[in-house]
Amino acid sequence: MGVTILVPYPLEKKTGPEVIEDLAKRLLAMQATPAGQFLVDGDIFDNPTMNKTKIHVMHNSEYPASVFSILDNGQKQIPLITDLIFDLLMLKVSPTYQSKKSLKIESKGPRYELGDFLIKLGSVTMSQNQNFKGILIEVDYRPCLVPALCWDLMREFMQGFLGQHAPTTVPAYFTTNIPMNPVQHFQRYNDTYQPIDTVQQYLEHFNNFRKQTQAPMMMTPRN
Amino acid sequence: MAQSVSVSVEAPIENQILSIDYDGTEVYATPLTQSEYLTRNAARINFSKTIDSTEENKEEEQTIQPTSNPFENILNKLKEAYTEVTVLHDVLSIAKEKHYLVLDPVPIHEPIEVKPMAVVYARKKALGMAGNILISGAERLKRLDNGPDFQIELLRLRQNWRLKKVSDNIIGDLSFRTAGSKFMHPGNFEVSKADESEMKGPNPSTLSVTIPSDLQGVAYIKVVTQKDQEDLCSANVSTIDQKCKLQVGEISSWQKKFEFAQNVLFCKELFNQLAREAVQLQATIPHVVIGNQIRATLLPGIQLIISLCHSNSYQEFQEENKKKVDDLHDHVLEHSLHQLLREIHYKNVHFPIPHSGHAVGIAKKRLLAGPHSYDRHELWEITKSQNQTLLEQIIAQAQHVFMRKRTQYVLDTLARDVKDPQITSHWNALNSPTLSWVKINITTHGYDTITRTSLVIHVKERSLKAICRDGRVMHMSYEPQELRDLILQQICQHQISGLQSLSRCMAWQLLSNSNHLGIGDVEPLGNANSILISSPLGDRVIAVQVRCDPQIVVKVYVSHSPKEFFTSGPLVQGKHWENLGSEFKEVNFEKMEGRNFLNKMEFLMAALTKIKE
Repeated sequence: MGVTILVPYPLEKKTGPEVIEDLAKRLLAMQATPAGQFLVDGDIFDNPTMNKTKIHVMHNSEYPASVFSILDNGQKQIPLITDLIFDLLMLKVSPTYQSKKSLKIESKGPRYELGDFLIKLGSVTMSQNQNFKGILIEVDYRPCLVPALCWDLMREFMQGFLGQHAPTTVPAYFTTNIPMNPVQHFQRYNDTYQPIDTVQQYLEHFNNFRKQTQAPMMMTPRN
Repeated sequence: MAQSVSVSVEAPIENQILSIDYDGTEVYATPLTQSEYLTRNAARINFSKTIDSTEENKEEEQTIQPTSNPFENILNKLKEAYTEVTVLHDVLSIAKEKHYLVLDPVPIHEPIEVKPMAVVYARKKALGMAGNILISGAERLKRLDNGPDFQIELLRLRQNWRLKKVSDNIIGDLSFRTAGSKFMHPGNFEVSKADESEMKGPNPSTLSVTIPSDLQGVAYIKVVTQKDQEDLCSANVSTIDQKCKLQVGEISSWQKKFEFAQNVLFCKELFNQLAREAVQLQATIPHVVIGNQIRATLLPGIQLIISLCHSNSYQEFQEENKKKVDDLHDHVLEHSLHQLLREIHYKNVHFPIPHSGHAVGIAKKRLLAGPHSYDRHELWEITKSQNQTLLEQIIAQAQHVFMRKRTQYVLDTLARDVKDPQITSHWNALNSPTLSWVKINITTHGYDTITRTSLVIHVKERSLKAICRDGRVMHMSYEPQELRDLILQQICQHQISGLQSLSRCMAWQLLSNSNHLGIGDVEPLGNANSILISSPLGDRVIAVQVRCDPQIVVKVYVSHSPKEFFTSGPLVQGKHWENLGSEFKEVNFEKMEGRNFLNKMEFLMAALTKIKE
């Protein structure tokens, strides 16, 4: 539990595994300790009769007992956190909601611990044929729960190992107003961080990757 | 021949009354069964007569058959009746004349000769017998009013114990099944009405109670921690109060009987559970279960022995109790043992809601883990706390009890042995069964405001954690020597830092200070602490060395400048060289005036300070 910030990392004429390896080397040089693997996956269920309604079902290995699902009807998103049996439930409603296998996307890779920070280097692949899409880096600062209180620290830390690709401004996810909140202009930036926030950030980036039609240029083998 | 009219006779619905008792109860004859009825009827039949009548009937049928008149039969009967009535009329009219026929009256028996005295005796005897019956009945009623009544006592029993009726017997249940126990022993007892012979003694009871033989007697579970062969602490677990002394009559009352039997059942169940766990647990040093004894190793050299004691009579139990030394008894341990079993029972009965089909037996926390999105660490904590068995928890608690005692002992002996400075330890009164903490203050008498060293020690199951004033955290094992070394080291530091603050007050200058003096004899653990201070004019220097191993030793050295006896030689020629400090001379610190180290140092510094003219 803590504040998590998700950053896409450009490939810059390298292959995915190469970039991951570079970053891992940097982390190890900073005396981070490897702490296993992680996996975040996202699945889309959509209803053929209702055009825009989709259910995003996501799993995060950091929260192994939960299934995160987000109902998206175009205008707003309704999150729901459930037990693992939710997956079985989705199979039961298969006539209404059908899984789009081709849009299944996942981010997986090594996980490192460095003091209070938890760093995950994820390579994003889409559909079953392992279509490589890009790299997502997750940085988690565990002792803090409010993004506003630890953003500066996290930014500095990210600059430490991401260099110029580190974000300089607060990610848009935190600065947009929360629609449901009665207090106007209340942003997630000042709110308590929830596990669902991590998942929603992933969803945002996954959707971006899905829209990105052409494969990243790094996928083409270098001659 | 005249034909009889057939009249059907039915047996009465009510049973026949055989006899009526004196108190008015009617004893009925049991109704006849079908076969008995048949045999009785068959016995009444005169078979020879029946054969005749059937023959006659046949003849009659033959005579009647030709007459076609349907009223022939009735006409004949009327004729016969008419004939008989006329005959009777004739007889009566003849008898009236009294010439030819005389009617004799029915002879009456002669009255029996009555002897008045015999009647009196007979009546007296009969009245006496009737009176006896009434008196015995009245006595019985009286006894029922005053003495215990079976029904009322049964009702009282029913209020406290579970009873059910199986055919003619009353069976009760002693087991803890309603409280969530899953122990297989039936724990039944039987209640019956006591005979007159049993209703004697100080507290007569109309109930007689039969308890299975394996539940009779007194049982308790004895928990002992042992170092080598010496008992360190013990606790007895049973549901009855072991201290109370019961009278003979009380023991025989059914209430006490049940309590004892239930206690035996409780102890058996507890031991059964523990023995099962001891066999299943994979400990580094395996637990041993032999007969009625479980042995587990807490810390090296220290064993936890749990044994089931079952004696068949209450007297033996009381005698044993008298022998026991009460000092060793640990009530806290006993209480937590009770609490642990209760928790298991509670969990067996109370399933967390919601009770969906797949969720039975899963902890509430685990059910919430999904919707509350627990992360990996939290989930791991849940599984860790869930899978702890009863024996593991007992061992953990016993280990903690032992660690606490050891820590207490080390601190107390140190506080006793080290007079200067004072060590005070504050134990937290409220603690968990496996974690407690103690705050240690090291102060010097009279200089409390100048310096105080405090540290907190967390006593866990097998380890200690010390948090010092400066924020350093030290983890120690269960060995008491480690704690002892830490406290001694803290005392040394306290003395040095106290002297530092004191010198500042006295306007002396701190020249150097080291917590780990690299010179001098090599010590097995830790190093000496040292401090060097000079007087305000710089003409005196005091050096102090505090060693902590194996006990606190303080050495104080003083150096003068200018040198007291300076003679310029060929090597050191100038007069100004006398300002170099002279050699350090040791002060006989033991003989100095002052109550403690800082007090002595204050006197020393005061004596060595020269006021500028």
